[in-house]
Amino acid sequence: MPCSAKASYKKLPGTLELNGTHIQWTQDGKKAPAVRVPHASFFSLFCSKDGSPQVRLKLALVNDDTGHNFTFISTPQSMALAERETFKTELTNIIAKNRSAPQQTPQPAAPPSHIKLPTNSGPITAASSTPGTPASFAPAASRAASVSSDGRTPIIPGTDAASDFRLRKRVLLANTELASLHRELVMTGQITEAEFWEGREHLLLAESSSTSQKRGRPGTLVDPRPQAIEGGEVKIIITPQLVTDIFEEFPVVQKAYAEVVPKKLNETEFWRRYFQSKLFHAHRASIRSSATQHVVKEDPIFDKYLEKDDDEIEPRRARDEIHDLYINLGATNEDHEETGNTKDFTMQAGRQRGALPLIRKFNEHSERLLNSTLGDGPAKKKRKTDDDDEYRRIELEDLNDFEASSGIVLEMQDRQRYFEGRGSGANGNADGDDPAKAVDIRHVFAEARKSTVDWSSRFSQLKVEKKAGDAAFQTMTQNVATRLKSKGQKNDLPPTLFASMRTCQTAANEFLRQFWTSMYPPIALPGLSNGALTTAADQQNRAAKAAKMAGYLGKTHEKVASLVEIAKREGADVSRVEVAMKPMLDAVDHATTFWSARQAKGTKAR
Amino acid sequence: MEKASHLSVIVDLSPTQWHLSAQPSNPYPLSIQSFLSQLLAFLNTHVAAKHENTLAVYGALPGKSVLLYSSSDPAPENAPASDANAFTPFKLVDATVVDRIMQEFEAVSEAEEEAPCSLVSALAKALCYINRITHPSTSAGPEDPNELPDPRILILSVSPDLSSSYIPIMNCIFSAQKLKVTIDVCKVYGPETVFLQQAAHLTEGSYIHLERRDALLQYLVMSFLAPPSVRGVLAVPRQERIDFRAACFCHKNIVDIGFVCSVCLSIFCQPVPVCSTCRTKFPIKTLQRLNASRPPGPPRQATPQTSPAKPSTNGHRGFGPELNGRP
Repeated sequence: MPCSAKASYKKLPGTLELNGTHIQWTQDGKKAPAVRVPHASFFSLFCSKDGSPQVRLKLALVNDDTGHNFTFISTPQSMALAERETFKTELTNIIAKNRSAPQQTPQPAAPPSHIKLPTNSGPITAASSTPGTPASFAPAASRAASVSSDGRTPIIPGTDAASDFRLRKRVLLANTELASLHRELVMTGQITEAEFWEGREHLLLAESSSTSQKRGRPGTLVDPRPQAIEGGEVKIIITPQLVTDIFEEFPVVQKAYAEVVPKKLNETEFWRRYFQSKLFHAHRASIRSSATQHVVKEDPIFDKYLEKDDDEIEPRRARDEIHDLYINLGATNEDHEETGNTKDFTMQAGRQRGALPLIRKFNEHSERLLNSTLGDGPAKKKRKTDDDDEYRRIELEDLNDFEASSGIVLEMQDRQRYFEGRGSGANGNADGDDPAKAVDIRHVFAEARKSTVDWSSRFSQLKVEKKAGDAAFQTMTQNVATRLKSKGQKNDLPPTLFASMRTCQTAANEFLRQFWTSMYPPIALPGLSNGALTTAADQQNRAAKAAKMAGYLGKTHEKVASLVEIAKREGADVSRVEVAMKPMLDAVDHATTFWSARQAKGTKAR
Repeated sequence: MEKASHLSVIVDLSPTQWHLSAQPSNPYPLSIQSFLSQLLAFLNTHVAAKHENTLAVYGALPGKSVLLYSSSDPAPENAPASDANAFTPFKLVDATVVDRIMQEFEAVSEAEEEAPCSLVSALAKALCYINRITHPSTSAGPEDPNELPDPRILILSVSPDLSSSYIPIMNCIFSAQKLKVTIDVCKVYGPETVFLQQAAHLTEGSYIHLERRDALLQYLVMSFLAPPSVRGVLAVPRQERIDFRAACFCHKNIVDIGFVCSVCLSIFCQPVPVCSTCRTKFPIKTLQRLNASRPPGPPRQATPQTSPAKPSTNGHRGFGPELNGRP
């Protein structure tokens, strides 16, 4: 398996090596490889044509189509070609393996070589993940260890610090806002890594479960498309990968290849004629191929392999009898006769005969795809033979009501009180000096009785004073206008100012979150000891954290003031900045008041 | 063409509150006489706006609620004497409404003291009425569901919040939401009412607190004449700040911080060992923890207009609202 060759990369001479786990390229005279890619990220392979002056090989990676270009520079060229052929074979195998085996999950107990990240995976990762100092990383590691040991939040899958760290990095990469907050607070050392992730464990969990999900085979049909058309010439680039795919999809081509190459045709000739043959056009996944039917030449070799169009009423490949009653829709037909639904005749597959081969091709493709996922293992067979109980096979587990519980009945006690409720404060107005109390009720009732007398003459003289009407009109128009204004208002704050406002706001929010989590739930209570939670050290930690956060929060007003200052300088609307920051300042004030009240109480108690 | 619209008006007829409203010490005193005249003008405007428009008027009186007028009622036998100055259909509405009010006032004045005004009962009746006209039995109703009127409710309130009616009023609000009925509120006199603010907000209606009470008709016509379907085009004034606080179930106080039963969602003003609604028992540790987390010292003086309620201690802990990109 290991092989190496002289190859240039980005016009620099060097050595290309392929070993059991990685492909790597080292510049001449250097020790460390400049390119190092693990097998798992190989995606596809492209080679320059045999006759071309340079012997090139391009390796595209998962998530990176540009990949890496290597030029084999051994002399004479035949040697370079031979070397490339070796690499090609090896790489093709690896790629095929990558594709067939769905992406493996990163193993928790990976060997050390896996933990080291590929150096070429971009500067962003380095910026956002590498903690500035070893000191800030250390607590994270210890935190991870403590988490797994005390068993409170046991489900973080990466038990070792390294995979935990990788997981966090992935979360940050996927969420730019969180990443910037992280950069803002953790990189600058204001909050430790562990504090930052506290209360955000769910993000890590979600990430780890999404990455550990099995990815299936890609479901695209093999459909090589002509790339360039010059004067009627059609160019199709054949990659080793494409060849494998074609063989897999159309076994008849593989058969032809085995029989014809190299006796009758050499490889290039074989593909050239294949792509011109009727066989190829029959394999294309579209009806448009029928239009080109007449330009396709007769080909004595390939026409032998041509199959008749699969457009008879019965498909050529007899469908497997559906043994599984669960998916056989016809099996429960008799249950549905009485529902009165007429059958749906609007969709008839293959009313247009030309479409039949395509439909069948798609069906076969899907079936192949599903089978490859299912694996032709024993599970399928077991299901088939297990026909002792027909009823059980059509039983839908989801529809079974295992726990027929009647729910929790809300038994309201003393309903009278709730619906008619003459509670203690029935009069609504808790104020002692309720003006309604000071009124002579008899007088009021008499007044009410009188009020309707002679209404019609008063009604005919109804008149709204102009001044009052205008004032009312003004206030209402103003109300509507304010709303309209705020609706039509553009966000015309300078982008830099707006960005720093956002930063300030998210940072303060984070401090608030940290502050309140260190406050609640209170642990100073006796009888609430939750195992290891209430050790003295823990309490001190929390108190220290709260003090620190309160300190940060105390500076928020300064920060906002400086923002307002900037706004003034840049000519932005100062009042809008103030309004925007107001809710945050209110929350901060609430927290600081709470903190100082608690401090005062603490000193008094002592 | 606009759909016909149905308007149910609920008039708060608390004699005491109207008496207080008419006191000359108020900034702009409004007597019930003047109020009635302006109300009648508004009712006539609604009826005149479209021939198919329908109207129902409810009176919320001390201890009872009555339907004062409904346009689906047959015309009374003793029709009022025709008036050369009035369009007969208008005259009919006006006379019926005022006569009924007069009767009801006569009936109420027997009482020794004034019972709380049953606004909720009027609201519930209005909702039932609307439910009936929007879901006609198949034989009676028009074929085309589009011909059914577009319903809404307007509450003209003078009484303060009755916190004991918190639960029924919330239930009314939920029914209104389900029926897609807009509830508009015009606070003619008295302090802001939290519940009616919520009613208007939750049903996408508008809540107006009168500033110039002598110009009531101006407010009524500008804010409440347009049916909800028109309000997308014709903007009407709305309340900008809404008080979302709830009343506790135990003392019927409006609370800033409430404690919510995890089983039945009852709200309490202090941690309780047993939920009085569903008799769920809470662990003693939870109680201790909740008690410890209550704000120290005397309860913080609330500023109802600006601080939304914190319905549970677990959700909000005073975080500022997210900056939504448009300051």
